[in-house]
Amino acid sequence: MSEWDIAVERTINNNVPRVHKILSQYPYIQDLARELRKAKLEVINNLEYFTQQALESVKKIGGNAYYVSSLYEAREIVGKIVGKDKIVVMGKSMVAYELGLREYLKELGNQVWETDLGEFLIQLANEPPSHIIAPAIHMTKERVVKLLRERLGVEVSDNATHEELVAIVRKFLREKFVNADVGITGANAVAADTGSVILVENEGNIRMSTVLPNIHIAVAGVEKIVPTFYHALIEATVQAAYAGLYPPTYINLTSGPSSTGDIEMKRVSPAHGPKEFHLVLVDNGRVEVSKDDVIKEALLCIRCGRCHLHCPVYRALGVEWGRPPFTGPMGAMWSYVVHKDTRPATLCTHSGNCKEVCPMGINIPKVLEKIKWLDNDKEHNKA
Amino acid sequence: MLGKLIFQNLQKFGFPYPLDKSICSGWAKDIPRGGETIIYTSCMYQTASLSDIFSKLTPYAEKLSAFSAFAKLIRPSKEEIERAYTVLRNISSMLRNRGIQFGYLYEEEPYSGAILLELGYLDEFAEYAKGVRDFLKQRGIKRVITVDPHTHNALTRYNEFINFDIEVVSYFELLGEIKPRIHGDIVVHDSCLYSRFLGKREVYRGLLNSAGLKLVEDELVTGKDTSYCCGGPIKPVNRELSEKIAKIRVEQLRKLSDKIVVVCPMCYANLSKYHKVLDFAEVVE
Repeated sequence: MSEWDIAVERTINNNVPRVHKILSQYPYIQDLARELRKAKLEVINNLEYFTQQALESVKKIGGNAYYVSSLYEAREIVGKIVGKDKIVVMGKSMVAYELGLREYLKELGNQVWETDLGEFLIQLANEPPSHIIAPAIHMTKERVVKLLRERLGVEVSDNATHEELVAIVRKFLREKFVNADVGITGANAVAADTGSVILVENEGNIRMSTVLPNIHIAVAGVEKIVPTFYHALIEATVQAAYAGLYPPTYINLTSGPSSTGDIEMKRVSPAHGPKEFHLVLVDNGRVEVSKDDVIKEALLCIRCGRCHLHCPVYRALGVEWGRPPFTGPMGAMWSYVVHKDTRPATLCTHSGNCKEVCPMGINIPKVLEKIKWLDNDKEHNKA
Repeated sequence: MLGKLIFQNLQKFGFPYPLDKSICSGWAKDIPRGGETIIYTSCMYQTASLSDIFSKLTPYAEKLSAFSAFAKLIRPSKEEIERAYTVLRNISSMLRNRGIQFGYLYEEEPYSGAILLELGYLDEFAEYAKGVRDFLKQRGIKRVITVDPHTHNALTRYNEFINFDIEVVSYFELLGEIKPRIHGDIVVHDSCLYSRFLGKREVYRGLLNSAGLKLVEDELVTGKDTSYCCGGPIKPVNRELSEKIAKIRVEQLRKLSDKIVVVCPMCYANLSKYHKVLDFAEVVE
């Protein structure tokens, strides 16, 4: 068995039964998922309206909000906010990866650290992520031992436990958090009515990235907008459950820069947390797709990563399928949304497992069928 | 271009690749020709074993002008033909034993167009479906009994593309009580299409259970959302990937039972490379 075969089998055995158990133990989650689908669909069908509302809401609470149509614009804005010679800590974000932010900010002369354990390992190994919520699932424990030893120059025993490996990274990153100037995260959801950003996590790295530095920048695709604060909380709940991590250890909610109302109950900013909050809402192909009756369903994806572990093609191909971070069945859709790359869709064997397990009820094979048709259409045009 | 090649072959040979169509009808001897209700094989069982050979030849097909003439000579082995014919005869006799009357179109039977649909050649599929519908209508056919999931899926999706008012029913749904031909524990490899797209998972599982066969189940191997795929549908696009999926699938299934039962000719063909596999119609009567 290859390292990938071993690692993915361990992951499936750990994760799939756990999700089944969570869904049966907390039946309200499936009701919430259905409610969330309706709310997200409303946004996708009225994307311009909700984007505008979200931008205005962020400004009302003292934040800065930007809408960008391309990855170049996004990089430029983030680059201007960060500047150079800064220490930047990043919470795992697919959009940040999509935009190439880590590399861009390093090129500007900043020290940039991923703080999600999986993403940190990926950064050390200089490899693409293999799964949206567990970016390093292609690495066995044995590989992680070797990687930490080689790249951090620390002593790691061949028999180190999972706990010991986590402690080594914790120690290394703690110093980065404390000295960071800027924290950059993604967003699980953005509430259009309040301008709040919600982030769900287990490690505590996002909590520190969003609170310790003076500046917090959240980058998110426009499809992350939900109508209300209430829906944002639902998204965090559903995402965590379908990822097999329920209850999540932390749900972080950020509404503008830090503030206090403790002196005469007058709300003033900043307080202990960041003095600046910036939200960058990214199009990069999403708006165009929202106008296609079939493919727009891809925008409903809440990045729980469940479809990956039920897909025979992902199991066989891993990170080779799709354009990282967009791997697996959702990645075959999203490789088209963001890169207009139709080829990953052509490898769908329409097993239909992804359709069965998707919390948003996305008929992924149907979306991929349409993208295959577009791929064939391109061939027609060439002929 | 794969789609163009398939479409041309369909016009020329009535099949996605060059084929001597006498292979398709050889199993049937005493079934009336035509009629309002027909059994519809789409030549899937008869040619499933050839998918392997054609997936090897596809990359060269466009470049070889002699491909068609050469490919038409390719036939399944005697054993493969016999096995396919046995499956179809068993299906036919199970239906007849239950008093179900049907005809067959023999060498005139058209292919369903499933491969065009599954590879995303939707325009070609719509055009081809129109031809099949007109052909069936001209012969006064009102009801079609399918024997495999790919054909069943294609016909039930015709309505998304054209007006199609012919009833489509799977032979499973007509069987009622059946008896086992084998004994002991079995593991069922579900057809993706039957199980997750067509809602027939409980139909064939119920039949096997009621026949007294014990189905070994495992949450991670035979669950509705975990039972994976044989890799067959991706074979024309990526043979290596198809084989890797089949190999993984067989390893999973063998952990539960040595007797692997399938309900689809493509699953049979793809998984058989790595283990002896039985078709539903080989384990019951």
